[in-house]
Amino acid sequence: MDQKILKKDQIGKLYNEFAGEYDFYAPIKEKGNIVFEKIENPEDIVLDYLNSKVPPKSVLFPQEEVLFEYTLDEKNVEITDRQNLDQKILIFGVRPCDAYSFELMANFFSFHGDWEDEIYLKKKENSTIIGIGCNTPRSTCFCTSVGGNPFKKGDMDIFLTDLGDKYLVEAISDKGKEMVQKLTWLSDASKNDLKKAEELAKKAEELIVTKIDVDTVVKNLETNFEHPVWDEISESCIGCGSCAYLCPTCTCFDVIDETDHYNNRGRRIRIWDTCQSCLYTLETSGHNPRDTKIQRCRNRIMHKFSYYPTNYDLLGCVGCGRCVAVCPANNDLRVILNKIKNIEKKEDEKVVA
Amino acid sequence: MGIEEDNIEIISSIRENAKKLLSEDQVDLVIGYSEGTVPLSSTPVIIRKAEDVDKLTWNNLCYMNLARYLAPLMPQLCDREGNALRIGIVAKGCVARAINLLAVEKQVDLKKITMIGFNCNGIVNRSKIDLEIGEKEILEVVVSGDDIIVKGRDWEKKFPYDQYINELCKVCKVKTPSTTEENCIGECKELESIHDEFSDIDDFEAKSAEEKWDYIKNILEVCTLCYSCRQACPACYCNLCFVDQNKPIWFGKTTEYRDIFTFHLIRATHLAGRCVACGACASVCPVGIDLNFITRKLEKIVKERFDYTSGLDAETLPPMMDFDMKDAQEFMLEED
Repeated sequence: MDQKILKKDQIGKLYNEFAGEYDFYAPIKEKGNIVFEKIENPEDIVLDYLNSKVPPKSVLFPQEEVLFEYTLDEKNVEITDRQNLDQKILIFGVRPCDAYSFELMANFFSFHGDWEDEIYLKKKENSTIIGIGCNTPRSTCFCTSVGGNPFKKGDMDIFLTDLGDKYLVEAISDKGKEMVQKLTWLSDASKNDLKKAEELAKKAEELIVTKIDVDTVVKNLETNFEHPVWDEISESCIGCGSCAYLCPTCTCFDVIDETDHYNNRGRRIRIWDTCQSCLYTLETSGHNPRDTKIQRCRNRIMHKFSYYPTNYDLLGCVGCGRCVAVCPANNDLRVILNKIKNIEKKEDEKVVA
Repeated sequence: MGIEEDNIEIISSIRENAKKLLSEDQVDLVIGYSEGTVPLSSTPVIIRKAEDVDKLTWNNLCYMNLARYLAPLMPQLCDREGNALRIGIVAKGCVARAINLLAVEKQVDLKKITMIGFNCNGIVNRSKIDLEIGEKEILEVVVSGDDIIVKGRDWEKKFPYDQYINELCKVCKVKTPSTTEENCIGECKELESIHDEFSDIDDFEAKSAEEKWDYIKNILEVCTLCYSCRQACPACYCNLCFVDQNKPIWFGKTTEYRDIFTFHLIRATHLAGRCVACGACASVCPVGIDLNFITRKLEKIVKERFDYTSGLDAETLPPMMDFDMKDAQEFMLEED
């Protein structure tokens, strides 16, 4: 039977089973914020969180990642350090929207197989996702409008449901089934447990009140690259990178070399970039095709709701609502999408989030 | 009078003055605050027609410094040729300080700006409330009586207003625009200087150098270098910020503490004597870093050394841009 029960005080036991073989990442509370970190102590794990501040994309695609270090010896260059991409990774306690984001990002990092980013793809291949359903989605969540669901299981290896005093454990992928089989100490789930999980899933879906007509948004974007609505949309934006940094699907990065001339060594690092930065797409000639914040705001929306659908036949947004909650100017993505949806309609139709 | 009644009066005066400016064609547009779509927020908004002034509001969550949009002047505030339009701007004390500073530094033309002044009653400390509520979703925040009432799905919590406003608002001495009636409609009061004891940073000042170092490290460690603080700052208007310069790269770009600290240290230095104490940097930080103690320390140094407070008028140069023979120079080596 693939459905088991994990008692809440057995998380430590589960950790001990896998911590040797895997780098074990889980949500912890750090200075008031929930973040995914490699943990040493299972007691630090916080599972009754709304959603993490920084998405778990940071596990597979960290904000900074040393690609290699080098030393110079007269005329020889020695590459001294590359990360171990064969290390197995376990990401525990991931929400369904974020689990889906790993799949979306894989599209970007492979681009139809035309070129492959070995670092991301290998890490992803070596990762196992133990996810958890969202019993109480936030008011800013809109995953159901972009093909997700607070109990979407397909992107996980093992799916947990918080039943209050215990977790229902469901093995989803073959990898997950194999893992669950190893945990012989798990008890079997009863019919009641399954029923309760079903009810929780239904209730959670009802809690998602934001509905966005994304099909119309995608269609309208095709023909409205130049439109006064972009002036309005970018009005309050202050050009910080919060939305992109906290977005589970934003993949843009910058590559920088840090050179230590005195010690004849250096390192190449890739760091997160954001299309909201004035340096983004600045060409060596000095020309920047996205010179104003109007163009930069437009790029963020186009990328997720037009370029992604065109390139991968998928939406580039998982509906986690992080950008909605975090934007300092409260430039609400839900409002933006509704404005785009309402293009070509009469102006007197009120735009409501 | 309670905060709530206070706000009703402020809102009606803002709307009335905005309406007057627009209907009498004294300005082309008004920048102000509108209701946010998520709790603990507000949205800056541009109003172009007198009949839209009811979108303007004031609710103690209007933490953004609207002067941010004036320098560099965003395209929405210009005509087709790129010239500045005539701008009305809802101005609490610190917004007016920022406008004065920008005028001193020749970034804005005061003739094109009309402040809509009022007596600010403070901004809710959103990070502090967020932190205390923790992993429960806040669905509504209202100010009622002397309390901030925070509501969730099946819970409610009260926070005393006077304790849960921004640290800078608690000690603010410039609640109304310090400017002349020529530049302002609504309330304003010209201030020559203010008395400030800086008792709010006594705890920090009492620390040893080592303790200060640890304290700062502990606070800044979580910074993600998203530069929201810089972007929200009305005094950070450089065409190209030092951290963004890449020919050559001056500073590291990782989130190793070395790079985080360098950014904050240099930003602080650039703001010495220029910071207008609006607290927008701390309010917008996505990870809730309280930068206020740094800016207050800067203010204190400048006040004690130069008897200067930024943004009180549109003529006096900040001390770091000026030279005065009377400036203290005890650091000079004596002759013989």
